[in-house]
Amino acid sequence: MAGKRPALPLVLSASDLLDGDVVFHTGAGWDRSLSAALVATDEAGAQRLEAALAEVESGGPVAEPFLFTVTLDPSGAAVPNHYRERIRVCGPTVRHDFGPQAREELSHVSL
Amino acid sequence: MPLLDREGLQADPFDRADPSAEGVIVPFDGLEEALESGSNRPVGVDLPNHVHPSRLASHLDRLALVAIDFPKFSDGRGFSLARMLREQGYRGRLRATGRILPDQFAFALHSGFDEVEISDEQAARLPVGQWQLAPHQFSDNYVDTRDGRVSVFKRRRAAREAA
Amino acid sequence: MYRYDEFDERLVRERIAQFREMVRRRIDGSLTEEEFTLLRQMNGLYLQLHAYMLRVAIPYGTLSGRQMRQLALIADRYDRGYGHFTTRQNIQYNWPRLRDVPDMLELLADVEMQCIQTSGNCIRNVTADHFAGVAADEIEDPRPTAELIRQWSTLHPEFSFLPRKFKIAVTGSAVDRAAVAVHDIGLRIVADAKGRIGYRVTVGGGLGRTPMIGKPVREFLPREELLPYLEAILRVYNLEGRRDNKYKARVKILVHELGTEAFVARVEEEYARIDRGAVEVDAAEVARIAAYFAPPAFEALPARSEAFEKAARDPDFARFARTNLFPHKAPGYTALTVSLKPIGAPPGDATSDQMRVLADLAERFSADELRVTHVQNIVLPHVRLDDVPEVWAALVEAGLATANSGLVTDIISCPGMDYCKLATARSIPIAQEISRRFADPERERAIGPLGIKISGCINACGHHHVGAIGILGLDKAGVENYQITLGGEPGDLASLGERLGPGIDADEVPAAIERIVDVYLALRTDEAETFIDTVRRVGLDPFKPALQPQEPVRAAA
Repeated sequence: MAGKRPALPLVLSASDLLDGDVVFHTGAGWDRSLSAALVATDEAGAQRLEAALAEVESGGPVAEPFLFTVTLDPSGAAVPNHYRERIRVCGPTVRHDFGPQAREELSHVSL
Repeated sequence: MPLLDREGLQADPFDRADPSAEGVIVPFDGLEEALESGSNRPVGVDLPNHVHPSRLASHLDRLALVAIDFPKFSDGRGFSLARMLREQGYRGRLRATGRILPDQFAFALHSGFDEVEISDEQAARLPVGQWQLAPHQFSDNYVDTRDGRVSVFKRRRAAREAA
Repeated sequence: MYRYDEFDERLVRERIAQFREMVRRRIDGSLTEEEFTLLRQMNGLYLQLHAYMLRVAIPYGTLSGRQMRQLALIADRYDRGYGHFTTRQNIQYNWPRLRDVPDMLELLADVEMQCIQTSGNCIRNVTADHFAGVAADEIEDPRPTAELIRQWSTLHPEFSFLPRKFKIAVTGSAVDRAAVAVHDIGLRIVADAKGRIGYRVTVGGGLGRTPMIGKPVREFLPREELLPYLEAILRVYNLEGRRDNKYKARVKILVHELGTEAFVARVEEEYARIDRGAVEVDAAEVARIAAYFAPPAFEALPARSEAFEKAARDPDFARFARTNLFPHKAPGYTALTVSLKPIGAPPGDATSDQMRVLADLAERFSADELRVTHVQNIVLPHVRLDDVPEVWAALVEAGLATANSGLVTDIISCPGMDYCKLATARSIPIAQEISRRFADPERERAIGPLGIKISGCINACGHHHVGAIGILGLDKAGVENYQITLGGEPGDLASLGERLGPGIDADEVPAAIERIVDVYLALRTDEAETFIDTVRRVGLDPFKPALQPQEPVRAAA
């Protein structure tokens, strides 16, 4: 992994190799829903995500894995801290009919 | 380390360390010394890809092999160096070493290389079949190649003249 | 238009077979993701923020109705029913799946199209004047030259793994509409005193992090020497271009660091040595290619059209005719720009239905030809003035009749962070909001020609450096922030914009642009003095206060 680890809590994301869809690491595999993501809140969790990242860094069923920082909202749902990741988990802000925002509830994430 | 040419895996008569090998490959800065040593063994040289080939110009007819390094597969300097060496009249073995991919093998042959020397890791990951397929994936080139292909431009002309 | 022969066709089909195999080898672990990335990019496939993106080459921006219709079919079958036309005269699909890409490539090949070298560190799609074959001031149609370069550069064994991407543009006119000065190599077709055709060659132009205007390296390169001379330039670049830092790897940095004179000396030294025969193209082959670009058989028409003049009594038609028509060399004809910048829409996008309308119109009214412009619009290059009213009515029907070509709402914008992985901020919403603010056509007309160009990161795909008003989106401590530049121009008097002041927040940008335009309107000598001319005359200082919100904020409603 290049560079230093972002701040906790962390989510590991990547793109599905064959479809290109945004996916998140669940602890056991990869899922298209942010709500299914394993959120690492401590050192042990972060190491687990880093190990999962290392495993797919040069190959595997996903491409371009990376970690990003989230905040847990009052309901415990993860919200990305940076606007880039907020756009990435929702879809284009100029086409609300495309991307994850079109197929699932992401009302807790907004720019 | 595995050595491949367009026919497949080949035995390597050269070595960088083994004194019993038929030929020796020396580092670029040891070339003068090796050529002056008086030994009868064929001498090859490892050419780093930042050295201009004109620096080999005075040795070309005494060299049995030039090995050009590809430190990263995305670093294409070696293709220019190979073509330049051939343009300068080098007729000996031309070898690509380092991180080259089967997907670049045809380009290497077209640029004047005869063979590639790869690591055991590359050979395990990229089976010989992939290397053997590569030179046959394209029937034509738009430029003349060093391995004898005539450019599409010239073949069109030939077709016109034959008609 | 150029048509593939058996060689061209076979190569494209073989490339697809190779790509299929490459995908299989990525899945089975033969290729690492890093290796696969570079190889798929050379086939135009990116992995973007939300999905893969496939960039299809439209060589020198020319395509037929049949090709446009196929682009629509691919958009419907494998994407989301639309495409994005780019500043490099290409089209991008934003939602393809890797598993479908080989089949998409087969559909493209069925109409003689492909994605070869639309990305990667190789020689990219060659661009040319979108009014090629139309403009009266043309010395020669630039497209045969561009096609020759396209073929020569396709899968070139020596130049496919360069330090960085390499862009070549060609213009054949006295007026440069291809922005050749901001390309790695710019070629201007020129005639010498004896009437021989050759090229004025510039090297080292480019935008991005370090924008530069290309330096002349040959004032007159004879036509037959073009390919060998390009090889000499590329070879010097391949060997000496920097590979230690991707932001310093373009040829402009090499030219800058060596100095133009030393760079030229190295090129000439290599040129003296190079095996010119390997890229020899005889005159008959050049003529064979050029023949495909022969002008269509124009009818002998009067310069004025009654039908056109009658239609011009309609103020909407008259406005369209005033802004979106370009004078044609053939009397009674015009080149008609179809704006892909409807008010408030993402610049450069077209739906599959719109593409089919354009295909029909090209076939019926424009000698079956379309052009994609680097301003992200479409041109119907050969329309009879008599037919313009009918074409216009069809465009109105399809939502394609926006009368804003060259005006303030004809905004160039990269996809920005709504799609692009590299972006640092969004571009499209900024373009949309500015467009809405200037929606009043009378106000737009009063403002006159003004190019706004927006990039969502320093890589400058939105050409902000050469915008009369340039907007660059950055990430300032986790907030989108926009720098405004003034005074850029891409053409003959190529110049780079200068920063007006510190960056501003996204929601301040549209009002700031309005204030900048108001300053221009107040300062211009008369209506004939364009925005860029005023900026050049008065400098940046009078515009600086416009960057700050004023009390009360104008036009906040």
